[in-house]
Amino acid sequence: MGSRTEFSPQTLSVLAALCGQPSAWQHGYALARQTGLKSGTLYPILIRLADRGLVEACWEEEPVPGRPRRHLYRLTADGLASATTALAEADLAASEARRAASPRRGRNVAAPAVP
Amino acid sequence: MSWLSQASAAAGRAAVRVVPDARRDWAEAVWAEAHEVPAGWRRLAWRAGGLGLVAKEAQMVRRIGIALLFAVAAGAAAWGAWPGSPVSHGAAVQGGIIITLTLLVGLPLLTRSLLGPPDSRAARWLRAGFYAAVLATMPAQAAIGLFVGAVPRSGIDRHIFDVVQGPGVPGSSSGGPDWGGEIGILFLTACYVAVVLALTARRTPVAPATLAIGAATGLVLGVVMYAVAPLGLNVKYPYRPWLHGSAADTVGTLAWILLFGAPLIAGAIAGRRCYVPDDPGEAGVARAWQGFAAGLVSGGVGALFVTVLGSGSVALLVKSAWVRDWLYRGHHVTASAVYGRELFASQNVTAYFFLLVAFPFIGLVLGLTGAGIANVNGSSRAGSGATDAPCPAGLGRGDVRPTLEN
Repeated sequence: MGSRTEFSPQTLSVLAALCGQPSAWQHGYALARQTGLKSGTLYPILIRLADRGLVEACWEEEPVPGRPRRHLYRLTADGLASATTALAEADLAASEARRAASPRRGRNVAAPAVP
Repeated sequence: MSWLSQASAAAGRAAVRVVPDARRDWAEAVWAEAHEVPAGWRRLAWRAGGLGLVAKEAQMVRRIGIALLFAVAAGAAAWGAWPGSPVSHGAAVQGGIIITLTLLVGLPLLTRSLLGPPDSRAARWLRAGFYAAVLATMPAQAAIGLFVGAVPRSGIDRHIFDVVQGPGVPGSSSGGPDWGGEIGILFLTACYVAVVLALTARRTPVAPATLAIGAATGLVLGVVMYAVAPLGLNVKYPYRPWLHGSAADTVGTLAWILLFGAPLIAGAIAGRRCYVPDDPGEAGVARAWQGFAAGLVSGGVGALFVTVLGSGSVALLVKSAWVRDWLYRGHHVTASAVYGRELFASQNVTAYFFLLVAFPFIGLVLGLTGAGIANVNGSSRAGSGATDAPCPAGLGRGDVRPTLEN
């Protein structure tokens, strides 16, 4: 229930992307590709999650020739727990909405006026 | 396209510097990641998002809003204070206005890297109030300077002028103080700006609560002082339109009590709230800092408040007939008598500068005394085995900011 008001759909998509590989560090552009979010949306979400202790961030330790060091992100233990719960609740809410929608549609369609 | 990309990259690198330290990594991350994004419009869009992030994290909208507000207020103050007609001290007055505005803009920029920006609501409000006070005083002082420097050509007014101000060249107008007077005012203004910036800066070990306590007690002192001396400071023949008989004596006594009591109480409360466990030496120093700052702010705010209101009242007195009628309601005074009173009031406004110098000194001494009393009480409680009272409203060790905080 909490997740429906706690996280926006965009934040849930970021959490889902991070949940895909919970122990791996991911960089911003990879997350942007997975979520389809633009930098102006993705980074404020990551900042908020980091402020709440749900995401940890660090710079790549070793510089890689040919490109700047990456800023990397992954879920903390709390973040993983919150993300799992929130995504499960979001799935549940979505399936409930689907279930609620389909009988209504069915009733409307499958209940023609009987002469 | 490449020049656009290079320009956006350069803009980004420059923009990252305005982001606060705690958020800078995030802004730099967007720029580092831009290398991963395919070149072209997509990379440009990525960087545009980064610029949006920088603008948000650096609170650019608020900064620009504050800068615009200051620019409008400073422009209005300069326009109101700028000598319109040819006056003999016009250059000094114009120089004073320009230098005052330069101080208000330049000193914060110069001290920002050394002391840091204000990091609490109390600090920001104190700075804003101080800036508003300085800007409000400028046109008021200019109006008074113009009035008091205009020598009547003849008649009874000329005689009154000679009695009050001393002989002057008939028909001449000085428009304000000469360069000597301006330099004195500018020196005092510079001292005030420097002290306010230092006390409200992030790296100064002054708690936000200390600033709030000092400002609150200072406002009380200022209001009572204004009630006692609303039209310049004339101890011998004070004019208080709204205080008569015993009320004037009572409020006058209260003003004297508050002059010494307000900073003493502010210092004691600020020192009392400062809580440093297990180290009496460190606790004493921290309490002394809070007491010093609270007393200084209390005296400074009190002096500045009465100066702004008093100067404003006298400026309105000489400029507006309705203020004159309101202040002298029920009095049957001739035009020349009114002129004489306005001249006296305008002359007595300069005595507010004495308050601006004396009150902060009285404040800091008594604030330190108050903190010393708080420290003795704190030590005796600690010595008797009792623990220090918990700091109110979420204040604890964090209330005393480290001197070298980054």
